Amino acid sequence: MKKALGALALLFILGILLIVANPNYGLKFGLSGKDWQTYRYTDQYYIEHGIEEVGGTNIVTDIVFDYRGYDTIGEATVLFTAIAGAVALLRPRRRDVNE
Amino acid sequence: MSEDMGLIVKSTARATIPLIGIFGAYIVSHGHLTPGGGFQGGATIAGAGVLFLIAFGLSEAKKRYDHHVYSALESLGGLTFLGIAMLGLSVAFFYNVLWRKGIAFAGKPGTLLSAGYLPIMNLAVGLKVFAGLISAIIAIASYRRWNE
Repeated sequence: MKKALGALALLFILGILLIVANPNYGLKFGLSGKDWQTYRYTDQYYIEHGIEEVGGTNIVTDIVFDYRGYDTIGEATVLFTAIAGAVALLRPRRRDVNE
Repeated sequence: MSEDMGLIVKSTARATIPLIGIFGAYIVSHGHLTPGGGFQGGATIAGAGVLFLIAFGLSEAKKRYDHHVYSALESLGGLTFLGIAMLGLSVAFFYNVLWRKGIAFAGKPGTLLSAGYLPIMNLAVGLKVFAGLISAIIAIASYRRWNE
């Protein structure tokens, strides 16, 4: 009984979230009306303007290297930091070598 | 106990490592046309290195791995990435000036020499990811703390 109630409550919350997140009649922040949809949901813009603005037919590469280039810089930095950290952690200590 | 695996694995690795490398290079160079890109292609080429390490053993891999070369390659990739991003700095960081002004790599969309700085950036990121992953794998393999 309790489990069924819990599952029903989860479903209820999920349904409310789905309604809230729907772009047509959901909760809106900031701009109102059509503007909100254009600025919040940018995927259609990328699909329509990606080829003429950036030139690549692979829209994901257009986004990753042009529209969201800073994110890619961060990714490269994270990769570098991870490798530097792995090498610094795993490197044998000087004491171990001397023994 | 010998470090490398058997004859069958080594022969298969000899046959497949060049093919994996070519496939990774294809993914990197066609990153702006087909699914994939610098990260994915670089990881694929690094997978060939991992196969080499597993099939032939650590000592054989260490002979072919030079710390300074891979360090320089990774630095080159990162600096190329940043430098290309700064090309269009008069307008904005990450402004695709090569494509919008038609300076270089400005062919028809869908051809290999198109999309402005995207192919160069894909190459740079692929180089960086390849060198970084190979360095990480070699470091993890060679600095292990247990004895056989």
